[in-house]
Amino acid sequence: MTPATHFAEREHLICTVARMIEEDKSYWVGGGGEPLYTILLAQRLYTPGVQYLTEDGVVSPKALLPFDPLMTMVASGAGYRALQWGTMNTAGNFAQLGYVDVGILNTLQVDRFGNVNSTVLGPYEGGRGRRFGGPGGADTIAAQCWRTILMTDQQKRKFVERVDFISSPGFLEGPGAREQAGLPAGTRPWRVVTPWALFGYEEQSCELMLMAVSPFVTVDMVLAEMSFTPKMAPKIATLDPPTEEELTVIRSSLDVEGQTTGRGQWIELREGKYVFAETQGRE
Amino acid sequence: MEIIAEGRGDYLKPDPAGFRAWVRDHKPRTLINKLMSEREAVQRFVSDGDYFAYDCNYFQRGPSALIREVIRQGKKDLWVCGKFTYVAVALLVEAGCASKVDIGFVGFGPWLSKAVAAGRVQTYEYSNVVMTYRLQAGAQGLPFIAVRSFGGTDGFPHSGAKLVKDPFSGKPVVLLPALNPDVSIIHVHQADIYGNARVFGTGIAHVECALASKKVILSAEEIIETDEFRRDPGRTSIPHFVVDAVVHAPFGAYPGAVQGRYTSDVAHVVECFGAMMQGNLQPYLEKWVYSVSSHEETLEKRVGWKKLQELQRRETIREGYTV
Repeated sequence: MTPATHFAEREHLICTVARMIEEDKSYWVGGGGEPLYTILLAQRLYTPGVQYLTEDGVVSPKALLPFDPLMTMVASGAGYRALQWGTMNTAGNFAQLGYVDVGILNTLQVDRFGNVNSTVLGPYEGGRGRRFGGPGGADTIAAQCWRTILMTDQQKRKFVERVDFISSPGFLEGPGAREQAGLPAGTRPWRVVTPWALFGYEEQSCELMLMAVSPFVTVDMVLAEMSFTPKMAPKIATLDPPTEEELTVIRSSLDVEGQTTGRGQWIELREGKYVFAETQGRE
Repeated sequence: MEIIAEGRGDYLKPDPAGFRAWVRDHKPRTLINKLMSEREAVQRFVSDGDYFAYDCNYFQRGPSALIREVIRQGKKDLWVCGKFTYVAVALLVEAGCASKVDIGFVGFGPWLSKAVAAGRVQTYEYSNVVMTYRLQAGAQGLPFIAVRSFGGTDGFPHSGAKLVKDPFSGKPVVLLPALNPDVSIIHVHQADIYGNARVFGTGIAHVECALASKKVILSAEEIIETDEFRRDPGRTSIPHFVVDAVVHAPFGAYPGAVQGRYTSDVAHVVECFGAMMQGNLQPYLEKWVYSVSSHEETLEKRVGWKKLQELQRRETIREGYTV
């Protein structure tokens, strides 16, 4: 494994989450962008036997890569050599029965209690906010998987005290709220990962807790890109940079066009330190 | 049963008794030929004001040709089941066909805020699986279904769901109203002239959609003999008696893909998705819907045989999709 010398923020994000994936757990990845890339990357480099589910009821495929744009579900490449083909309700049933350990999701906004907004930025009523597509499968994933990993960008407008709209549940208003809303006991948000940082939750309060930062930022830089102050782990670790092997998989098989990872800033190794690159974007 | 909280959103009222009466009075039990043109099927079975569902979506084995025909015929005031969707709801709203949308996922972009602000469309909030569970309840002839999700979200107050005390355990549980669409359109790999149909590969809720709907239009890549079904009945996805119309529509999911048959037309997907993201679908509708009279003409004049052959060639995976 060779540490990378030049990479995009979102590539780093995908690699961080891919390394959290465990071979003996089952996963449901939301949608078709970064969450799907994390499991595909892990399957290729770290956990070849890992089992995953997609929203159209595909069980543990050996996906044929790369995918055409948007063809990440109900598509022959995405469902190639699966163990079972089902439907959205079969996927929902597996999760509701407790068979799915970890859900991986993207979010537009996240708050202190890990609630997920994929519906609207700003007010809901009257079409005055900036509208997005809705929860999709994420509501079921966040409600039913035993643990949920959220992926988002490290931006002040994305880390807010209370999301503008709870599309999918985190801890809702705090301890005990999920059970009161009818969600299964023992299910919970688990991690929030951004290109800059890794968060968990403090057990007692269910509040977001900073656990680690990336090698190209400081804790203060992360906190400056949040609208609230998170709990802090006793010791803040430093995340490893991507490896060249990981980047090769991402660039040659997953996000070949750079549609997902091409946005955001670039990082390079300069004089032994990881710093933001002066030139941005993939040429 | 004690109601702890309830959504304020309007919803299509479940009526299992009414549905049974509809089935008794309208669904033929015998094998009758239901093969017809897309124009006739949509004219006869999609009415203004209907609750309208489709399975899959405009890019992924959805009934894309039928969606274009619904737009071409200028259907009005549809209440659309907006689950697992990239652009179909945007097309229907932009074309003035839809006035209400139940949202699971409808593809993001400025078009929706604009339509809501202009009062052209009313939205209700659910999620994908919540919508397919509603169809599941509708497909079982039940009035509602209990689920262990959706509670605590901000979609809940904008829905028809209720949080109740489970009368058996006393614990909170969410109830969803069953959904019985007036009409659903589904694209399948194979059908016979009576409406027996096979879907290969994954889907969203094609069986639930077909069983739950009062009127069902299928479009099929291929029309096959009924004897083929009798030779391998385990592969029948949808039985004839729930189906009202069968449309023979090769490349009926175009510009989308059909597993095992053809890939999506990437350039077209980018054109359509881009137009939606920019909030202006009118040029797209003009080019692909209004200026052509049928699916056949669309394939001939707008796509061309060369492109269609290329899409077939690019679909290299056959495993699981052949009989």
